[in-house]
Amino acid sequence: MNANEFDVIIIGGGITGAGTQRDCAMRGLRTLLIERSDIATGATGRNHGLLHSGARYAVNDPESAEECIRENRILRRIAAHCVDETDGLFITLPEDDLAYQQTFVDACRRADINAEIIDPDLARRMEPSVNPELIGAVKVPDGSVDPFRLCAANMLDAKLHGGQVRLHTEVTGFIREGNTIKGVHTHNHQTGEDADYYAPVTVNACGIWGHHMAEMAGVKVGMFPAKGALLIFAHRVNNVVINRCRKPSNADILVPGDTVCIIGTTSTRIPFEECDDVAVTPDEVTLLVTEGAKLAPSLSSTRILRAYAGVRPLVSADDDPSGRNISRGIVCLDHETRDGLKGFITITGGKLMTYRLMAEIATDMVCRKLAVDKACETAVVPLPGSEEGSYEEVAKKIWEAPTMAQKAAASRMGSRARRIRTGNKRDDALICECEEVSVGEINAAIDRMDVSTLTDLRRRTRVGMGTCQGEFCACRAAGLLAKAHGCIERERADLEDFLQERWKGNFPIGWGDTLREAEYTQWVYKHVLGL
Amino acid sequence: MKFDSVIVGGGLSGMVAGIALQKAGQSTAIISTGQNALHFFSGTFESLLSPDKRIQTLFSEAGVRLHYSPGVRLTPMGTFREAALSLEDIDLFPTPQFARKVLIVNFLGYHDFFSSFLADGLEKQGMQCRVRFLNLPELEKLEQSPSEMRSVQIARTMDRIWEKVVQEIRVLLKDEDAVVLPQVFGLQDFSVPTRIRQGIPARVIFAGTLPPSVPGIRTQILLKRRYQLLGGSYLMGDEVTRAHIHDGVVHSVVTKNLEQHYIEASHFILATGGYFSKGLVANPFQVYEPVFGLDVDFKEDRNEWYNPAFAQDQPYMHFGVKTDASLRALKDGRPLENLYAVGSVLGQTRPEFGSAAGQAILTALAAADKILGL
Repeated sequence: MNANEFDVIIIGGGITGAGTQRDCAMRGLRTLLIERSDIATGATGRNHGLLHSGARYAVNDPESAEECIRENRILRRIAAHCVDETDGLFITLPEDDLAYQQTFVDACRRADINAEIIDPDLARRMEPSVNPELIGAVKVPDGSVDPFRLCAANMLDAKLHGGQVRLHTEVTGFIREGNTIKGVHTHNHQTGEDADYYAPVTVNACGIWGHHMAEMAGVKVGMFPAKGALLIFAHRVNNVVINRCRKPSNADILVPGDTVCIIGTTSTRIPFEECDDVAVTPDEVTLLVTEGAKLAPSLSSTRILRAYAGVRPLVSADDDPSGRNISRGIVCLDHETRDGLKGFITITGGKLMTYRLMAEIATDMVCRKLAVDKACETAVVPLPGSEEGSYEEVAKKIWEAPTMAQKAAASRMGSRARRIRTGNKRDDALICECEEVSVGEINAAIDRMDVSTLTDLRRRTRVGMGTCQGEFCACRAAGLLAKAHGCIERERADLEDFLQERWKGNFPIGWGDTLREAEYTQWVYKHVLGL
Repeated sequence: MKFDSVIVGGGLSGMVAGIALQKAGQSTAIISTGQNALHFFSGTFESLLSPDKRIQTLFSEAGVRLHYSPGVRLTPMGTFREAALSLEDIDLFPTPQFARKVLIVNFLGYHDFFSSFLADGLEKQGMQCRVRFLNLPELEKLEQSPSEMRSVQIARTMDRIWEKVVQEIRVLLKDEDAVVLPQVFGLQDFSVPTRIRQGIPARVIFAGTLPPSVPGIRTQILLKRRYQLLGGSYLMGDEVTRAHIHDGVVHSVVTKNLEQHYIEASHFILATGGYFSKGLVANPFQVYEPVFGLDVDFKEDRNEWYNPAFAQDQPYMHFGVKTDASLRALKDGRPLENLYAVGSVLGQTRPEFGSAAGQAILTALAAADKILGL
């Protein structure tokens, strides 16, 4: 069989694509995943990173709520190194209707979500940063999940099962024979090479960009781009997820994640042309800070690290201008039965939380088409890195008395941190001091995780995600990348892209320490380093 | 406490003003929070209008030898930038081709000196490059801690073992006519860069590292020493908390460490720097000057503060304290009689000074002249 032929081609390197590739590969299919940029660059990496308990949807969307809590339990098992089991609170403030609390708890129980009304005092002790004015609190099994880690681990497992991945490669057209999709034409943005790939089934898992992908294939999927803006704060202000106990609204979820916490989101309909470059506006920043401070008052004096926005791939159903009343439900379309186009399916809707279920539904459809009869195992087989429990246990197992940096590495890579070269001064030298990323960990990521740019590296190791936002670690890491790839010119351009990417998330919140840091960076890179 | 002049801010422009005033017989004090922009000084001034003898004299009396030689300097990323005046140990070249063959020397385990970028940049200019790493047991102690291999720590070691480095480079050197080394020499012992040059039979070029800048810190140490030798009072690690202003005149300031005392003076100079040094502070609604509450020239609409393209000129960098033609700072629309604003707190508002360092020095001298009635 030809090297360009596969059983299934998956377009899209977000969590849905990566999850689908893993599932297909585990069922014995020869898979190829194609992503025009890097992993988790769309909505996957641009949300709260909330491990939903489902409670948020319990009242208005019981189906989603049930999906969430089932997947919540599964992810704690199969993705232990990506999940932080923080628990969550739904708080009622004096301005909210306390009667809603009972409606909420009843709905949670119907969806099998363990929601427990607790005394506001206990809530204040559980989460000291919470607004002390609260008049009611419900404890739910929320948590946080690192979407970059989750996506990388799924893709890695697909590769361990023989899957192939082409990043920075764009699908430029479909290979059609009559009413059948036989494969795709692609262009690699880094090498400039064009290539064709063939498979009897192609899966469109492009999130909001799936709209255009479907159009290119000649079918119509009416999507609804709903932008959500979020802010990252420079400290982990809260250790427990804080939600508002009311109908879902703007900026009412505060999620702790690694060294930071994230407030969001908004919901605004935007035109498709803006999906590639969504910017956060000053008004959105003001709204997020004001509403966020109602959940945790200290947010109003906490430094904001970055502003960013994602686009939810909702499937449009009506003319609701906010997009909030559209179901987050999973949509899996068989274009053969729907549109008479063979060999092409679209998996969309859903959310980060339910990616595994989406992947299972899509893979079931692929298998039916290929007449493959093999059961899905992704709900029981742990992801690579997650086989040995929590990162603290893993770190102790590997190193006995792990250093801070080794613990940090274990929290990022789980048991695969074992593969990091460490224990000698050259590999242990720190490249990123904010996030404690060593030379060894960076080299491990470059060697095994498809890293071609600094931004790719950031998504896999958190290099440059900390307080200094990559001030110096970007240069140091660029040196290592230049060595690994043997191309200085490309690395210099890469460094410029990294700085631009960083500024994009900084200028919407450009005041206080953020502006100080920006001035310093401008000065250092332009005048001292001469970039 | 009473002085002729009090300078708020101990960076380049504050120290230049202080030295000029002390030299003219004034009694002055500098109130400094500590770190300043000299800690990331490239060691060169991009342009100054002329080879100002007065500047060179002021610096050389402090032991900071400058040379004026308009041309280009080698940046840490291997590119070349125009510069006119520089510290003596930092070379300026008439054209980028400063050698035929270059030996670039780095230390094993040091990630803040970009030897591969340098080699690539020099090769683009037609120079042949060889990169070699020295493996020095003396640096091992630094390497034990994963974040100690930084410029200043290495420079402290180099002050002791530079002769050994020279020996090792002599062994490495083949037919290269130039050697490029990181700027990690001469932090405490200022003669080291010159002596390294004497010891190596090729042209020696010191290229920058990631901050902190060793030549910048050395400049800071020397200027401060000179200022203190002239009798100036350098109040280190202190900051102004209150200022007393009546009828358009600044009478005194109070600092954090000396909160029981009024520090009085006939003249005040504000040399607190830009945003990084907190001379200017931005909140979501305005940019303000925190010490005296001076008028700041800025755009009302925050959307106009930034250019979304990082590499482009950023409008916020042009915001700064408003002054009259004599650099007297404005408060509520009127100049304060005895307060002068100098350096980066003015923002990049004076393109005629060429660069931030140029603006720092020239505005400091201009303010000193006004105070002295020159």
